[in-house]
Amino acid sequence: MADKPERDIDEDLVRQLAKLLDETGLTEIEYGRDGWHVRVSGRTQQVATIDPAPAQSGGDTQATPDDSVDVDLTNAVTSPMVGVVFTSSDPETPPFIKVGDQVEEGQTLLLIEAMKVFNPITATKAGKVVQILITNGAPVEFGEPLLILE
Amino acid sequence: MFEKVLIANRGEIAIRILRACREMGIKTVAVHSTADADAMHVRLAEESICIGPPAAKDSYLNPSAILTAATIAHVDAIHPGYGFLSENADFAAMVEEHDFAFIGPSADHIRLMGDKIAAKQAVKDAGIPVVPGSDGALADADEALAAAEAIGYPVLIKATAGGGGRGMQVVRDAEGVAQAYALARAEAKAAFTSDEVYLEKFLEAPRHIEVQVLADSQGNVVHLGERDCSLQRRHQKLLEEAPSPALNEAQRQSIGDKVVQAIKKLGYRSVGTVEFLFEKGEFYFIEMNTRLQVEHPVTEMICGLDLVREMIRVAAGAPLGFKQSEIKFSGHSIECRINAENPDTFQPCPGLVGIYHAPGGLGVRVDSGLYSGYTVPPHYDSMIAKLIVHGANRNECLMRLRRALSEYVIDGLDTTIPLHQRLMNEPDFVNGDYDIHWLQKFVDGTNT
Repeated sequence: MADKPERDIDEDLVRQLAKLLDETGLTEIEYGRDGWHVRVSGRTQQVATIDPAPAQSGGDTQATPDDSVDVDLTNAVTSPMVGVVFTSSDPETPPFIKVGDQVEEGQTLLLIEAMKVFNPITATKAGKVVQILITNGAPVEFGEPLLILE
Repeated sequence: MFEKVLIANRGEIAIRILRACREMGIKTVAVHSTADADAMHVRLAEESICIGPPAAKDSYLNPSAILTAATIAHVDAIHPGYGFLSENADFAAMVEEHDFAFIGPSADHIRLMGDKIAAKQAVKDAGIPVVPGSDGALADADEALAAAEAIGYPVLIKATAGGGGRGMQVVRDAEGVAQAYALARAEAKAAFTSDEVYLEKFLEAPRHIEVQVLADSQGNVVHLGERDCSLQRRHQKLLEEAPSPALNEAQRQSIGDKVVQAIKKLGYRSVGTVEFLFEKGEFYFIEMNTRLQVEHPVTEMICGLDLVREMIRVAAGAPLGFKQSEIKFSGHSIECRINAENPDTFQPCPGLVGIYHAPGGLGVRVDSGLYSGYTVPPHYDSMIAKLIVHGANRNECLMRLRRALSEYVIDGLDTTIPLHQRLMNEPDFVNGDYDIHWLQKFVDGTNT
């Protein structure tokens, strides 16, 4: 991934937990510290769950940042389509926005690729980028919060 | 075989497909609108992806969103279910262009059967009986008389551009032809600006009987008997049964063989249904449905096959594992479509489901996405469950159906269960003596 937003997942930690999961044969590990925690669950467990929260597509293990991390989604910009999100127009150029940026109405924030078409996601109002909730190249669902703009 | 399948549908049929996949060891990806985030098909699938807002045109009818979801989830194949994009030839073609398998027929066959005039000609050429009529527009009243004499009365004179019953005249004998011809032309002229009319055989009280077929890519075709779907209201089927109480064994074999031969000639793959009107021992083609049908379970119950499993197998290129001679029909099956509707006014009744209790026991099957606390969204079809029962014979089947209907509890919504219960005690229904007009008269209270 080209960039690392502030609230990104500690990949090494997740990998370590995932490895533990395989070694121990557990279906789920929850690990927390200093007001945050991460739950890693294996796919077999995912089958049985009837959690109404939309499951994410991905690899064999999934890291789910717990909702108790409390993200206020009132000012979230949500995805208007299912697709793959890109934070810059190509890998060489810097991201369209970073946390702390002041953006104008109509400014491009991200791109979402669907059916090989890159759709710019633009700011519907001027504001400050408070938080970026996705990483470059991540698949997103319709309605998924992408970033917080206040 | 496929490892992962995306189910491009919702409700009971999404669950039906998911069940077949799971029994085959295939992972499933559910797609859903925001209105269906809590739906059972989403809860049961290994993965789920929200593809759009509640309006079907932006979610379940959005090919781009569905194909993007399929790409992200790395699936091998897409099952379209019924309704939505299932008979959209362009969608089927797009699926294959994106290197996914389409669990259904080829785009060309969907397109052919979607064009009603081309479909009629194609199946006629392949040996399936169609409604006899004049070949094209009639030049004058004499030509109308000649065509009527050749076909036999009663006949129907219809506007070529017609629809909605306008420009239509029933003729019962030779004396009536000239006047009906003139009237139909005048009506056609007034309603559609074109006064072109044609003529075809008029069926007064036919039954709706359809033949289920299954074909693989290697040219093997079998039929799985017929279903009787005559109980319809405004072209919506309410209850279906297999076998039809109106057919004898010779008629069943004869139409089954004709359909199998035609499907072979057409080179069709997957499941499909050839629909007929049936009157006085004769079959007349209506249309072919190039998809899985709502009422497929009654066929499954009498022949012991999983049609979705077979669909998936042939889509993956596997040959049929049996011949026509190995298909055995056993007993009788009836399906009741249960809609979230007022049983008298048919007013849709979406909303929160209270206590939910599904019937069970020997020979009882419920295909539904309902559960206690589920909210039936107002955006989609009102069918919320299918109750399917099987019995050793029609009488046992009816007794079991009465028993199962009386056990079924769906609190909080109006449903069509009371209508089905009334139907179970109607002598005409019990005797299997009904045509395609019977149900409408029954709900209007005008049956004599």
